[in-house]
Amino acid sequence: MPQDADQVKDHFELFRGDEYKDMLAKKRSEFENPHPDAEIERVKEWAKTEEYKDLNFSREALTINPAKACQPLGAVFAAVGFESTLPFVHGSQGCVAYYRSHFSRHFKEPTSCVSSSMTEDAAVFGGLTNMVDGLANAYNMYKPKMIAVSTTCMAEVIGDDLNAFIKTAKEKESLPEEFDVPFAHTPAFVGSHITGYDNAMKGILEHFWDGKAKTAPKLERVPNGSINFLNGFDGYAVGNLREVKRIFDMMQIEYTILGDQSDVWDTPTDGTFRMYDGGTTLEDAAHAIHAKGTISMQEYCTEKTLPFIAAHGQETAAFNHPIGIEATDSFVMEVARMAGVEIPDELAKERGRLVDAIADSNAHIHGKKFAIYGDPDLAYGLARFVMELGGEPVVVLSTNGSKAWAAKMQELFDSSPFGANCRAYPGKDLWHMRSLLFTEAPDFLIGNTYGKYLERDTGVPLIRIGFPIFDRHHKHRYPVWGYQGGLNVLVTILDRIFEHMDATTNVPSKTDYSYDIIR
Amino acid sequence: MTSLNQTIQDVFNEPACGKNQAKSDKERKKGCSKPLQPGGAAGGCAFDGAKIALQPITDVAHLVHGPIACEGNSWDNRGAASSGSTLYRTGFTTDMTENDIVFGGEKHLFKAIREIIEKYAPPAVFVYETCVPAMIGDDIDTVCTKAAEKFGTPCIPIHSPGFLGPKNLGNKLAGEAMLKHVIGTKEPEYTTPYDINVIGEYNLSGELWQIKPLLDELGIRILSCISGDARYEEVAWSHRAKAAMMVCSKAMINVARKMEERYGIPFFEGSFYGIEDMSDTLREIAGLLIQQGAHPELMARTEAVIAREEARAWAAIEPYRPRLAGKKVLLVTGGVKSWSVVAALREAGLRVVGTSVKKSTREDKDKIKKLMGDEAHMFDNLAPREMYRKLKEAEADIMLSGGRSQFIALKASMPWMDINQERHVAFAGYHGMVAMVAEIDRTLANPVWQEVRRPAPWDRVEAPQQAGREAA
Repeated sequence: MPQDADQVKDHFELFRGDEYKDMLAKKRSEFENPHPDAEIERVKEWAKTEEYKDLNFSREALTINPAKACQPLGAVFAAVGFESTLPFVHGSQGCVAYYRSHFSRHFKEPTSCVSSSMTEDAAVFGGLTNMVDGLANAYNMYKPKMIAVSTTCMAEVIGDDLNAFIKTAKEKESLPEEFDVPFAHTPAFVGSHITGYDNAMKGILEHFWDGKAKTAPKLERVPNGSINFLNGFDGYAVGNLREVKRIFDMMQIEYTILGDQSDVWDTPTDGTFRMYDGGTTLEDAAHAIHAKGTISMQEYCTEKTLPFIAAHGQETAAFNHPIGIEATDSFVMEVARMAGVEIPDELAKERGRLVDAIADSNAHIHGKKFAIYGDPDLAYGLARFVMELGGEPVVVLSTNGSKAWAAKMQELFDSSPFGANCRAYPGKDLWHMRSLLFTEAPDFLIGNTYGKYLERDTGVPLIRIGFPIFDRHHKHRYPVWGYQGGLNVLVTILDRIFEHMDATTNVPSKTDYSYDIIR
Repeated sequence: MTSLNQTIQDVFNEPACGKNQAKSDKERKKGCSKPLQPGGAAGGCAFDGAKIALQPITDVAHLVHGPIACEGNSWDNRGAASSGSTLYRTGFTTDMTENDIVFGGEKHLFKAIREIIEKYAPPAVFVYETCVPAMIGDDIDTVCTKAAEKFGTPCIPIHSPGFLGPKNLGNKLAGEAMLKHVIGTKEPEYTTPYDINVIGEYNLSGELWQIKPLLDELGIRILSCISGDARYEEVAWSHRAKAAMMVCSKAMINVARKMEERYGIPFFEGSFYGIEDMSDTLREIAGLLIQQGAHPELMARTEAVIAREEARAWAAIEPYRPRLAGKKVLLVTGGVKSWSVVAALREAGLRVVGTSVKKSTREDKDKIKKLMGDEAHMFDNLAPREMYRKLKEAEADIMLSGGRSQFIALKASMPWMDINQERHVAFAGYHGMVAMVAEIDRTLANPVWQEVRRPAPWDRVEAPQQAGREAA
């Protein structure tokens, strides 16, 4: 018998045994109607050619392995960053189950989120009853301080009017009249999760600043010296927000993080289950209108929110997921300028340490070619950092990137000789990336967990940076922003380069002349 | 009434389902999915259920017709193992946008099917209908028929918009699609009197493979597995099996029952979990095959294998008994696992202090009662807060559940082990049970639980000597 009860093997080893090899081979010949090996080999090689790439890029209707998710996912992300806020997704229930598992697998934390559970009846007659009952149930069961409503495609196709529905729900006493229920329409068939973040964040600020859907007077802005901070949809929210707060405290500025997910996705195991933890208080969210200005770390996550804030008289500045020396420089200088403070020496020292670290390691990255994919801002930030390190991005791809994003990427490439051979690919998926990895032959790939299939198929080693990361643990706890964050990204890249170096030089008396203990 | 509605009614009117038989006509019409509570934290939808049920068919291209929501959040999220093609792990979607919703998504879908066939030449394309195309009235049946005619590749419409109901309904709708369009469309090269179907087994972590050597030894051939490590062809010729085993009872009972009706393939409901359950399963398979004309000596051979394997498994579990005896287990899973695992755990000397019956049938519940007697704490779907309270009160030593409850368990200081689809150890068969017991033992012995359960040293209020004892 293949499995020995005295020594139980798991599936890693078990199915490599000879008995299993036979069994699986038989399956293949008897059940699979397989192509001859030569033919498989021919097609495999053909898929690596320019010809195949051209065919692949002429795809019009089919998306294969998309590197994006839908709007409500981003809306849920924005909502959980507020104090005791329950994200409520109006539409069919299955979507919400996906968001919860998606976030839980990445952050290794429970994610509280409810649905109005629309069914076929609701599809025909509209979802009003679901909204009225749903809000009442959610309010009573989960005792939130705020319920942030977004929508799935189902509600959007029917055209449910959130504003009117929430009003009706309050009239029917699902919730107290004064209870905060900001809302945003977030159809999945428009944009991606970053659009959803934008819509939801704007919805929440609009709610507090512009008279709570005509149930309260609009707030009058009385400018103060405070700075608002928007992180945008960020898989590193836990580490990044803590790092940004540390920097702000160091700079001794007044600030409000709008949407602070760092505690709710990192609750301690101490015997207490916290359904909600931390987050921006509702009071702070309202007072944020008085701030001097607002910083967005991700331009493409705040395309609507930032102009909305600017229209209320604040200064605004947007970055593209700043990583590394120059990008962090611009970020902290803008914060200092806006808040009217000096850059503290301690921060300058951190900068010096990052410069030092990069100088120590530059030889290993210089001239290496990188393919990068991710959300538009992250892809920009990573490409910029890679160029700063002396690496050469050759492909930068973003499934949810726009043409405007591609133009901005091109400007970045044009700004440095290290970007000379790079192209940006907006709106393309990971199957396009697969072709590009064959034809452009980069040395390394930077992307999320899904990139592991590309690594397997093309042999290009994957550096895991992005969202989601399911198959490595706790990466979200380490910042990628700030000089400290830049150091983390540097180390992540270097580790993979060295592992790859070791793995390709470890055959005794064949390749091990380069298998060194000092790298 | 639309044909989809008819299908749903049909699925609800399941004569082989004990729960259904006990209902009045009127109740039966209403269907068996409990109305979902708006405002609650819900589980997966019908689409999720359909995808889960069919995705393990490895060489098929699974195309999700809908906006990015359905596939963007979910592609490749299950550990169903394949011995061949990995096409099933590739996420195909039409990624519908506003234009499709205004002008209809049919042409888009047709093109997408063409692009798949040109690129991958799969034996079939499964097209999953999600909420949006269902609402805007895309006629995916016609698109599939036309595409199949034009490209010569079967294109199978799976009607599974999420709003129809929960995951379980989706499993059944997936089954209906197989019955309607796939099963019976091909012939196997040869048949034997020892051919069986295994229905509702997904080969998670390679569990089917763990069982298969036993069947191989007995000369029993799995003609078709629906759907673990399956190829399109084997599903298409599954109507030639002599007998069938239904594994996940609520998921695809309609497939087993209708195949009995149409093709005269008798089936039984069995489980690969638990030593005695595994033996019963082998006996049932042999019995049904003999009844269908296989040589009666099969039973003697089966009994011999059972005796040998049981002895080996018991012997392997024996050393764990003293370590595990009296340890309390809280089981949060559903359906068939709510009882089949109970039996196995008791075999290892563990005490099951509670089990969830969220997706369990009445028979499932009866079986739990029979197994656990009056000490059976059964509870239904739990909200996180409620689950947290139960966990705190249960004073169990370990909770076995799926991934979604994991984190709540930990926050409640409850040692936890994964027994659902995301786990990485196969628990099926005789050795699978040994593996599970070993895994529980290993989990319980992990030093982290001590830290999880006690406060920081400066917060410990016990008298000094007590603290000293704890340290010892």
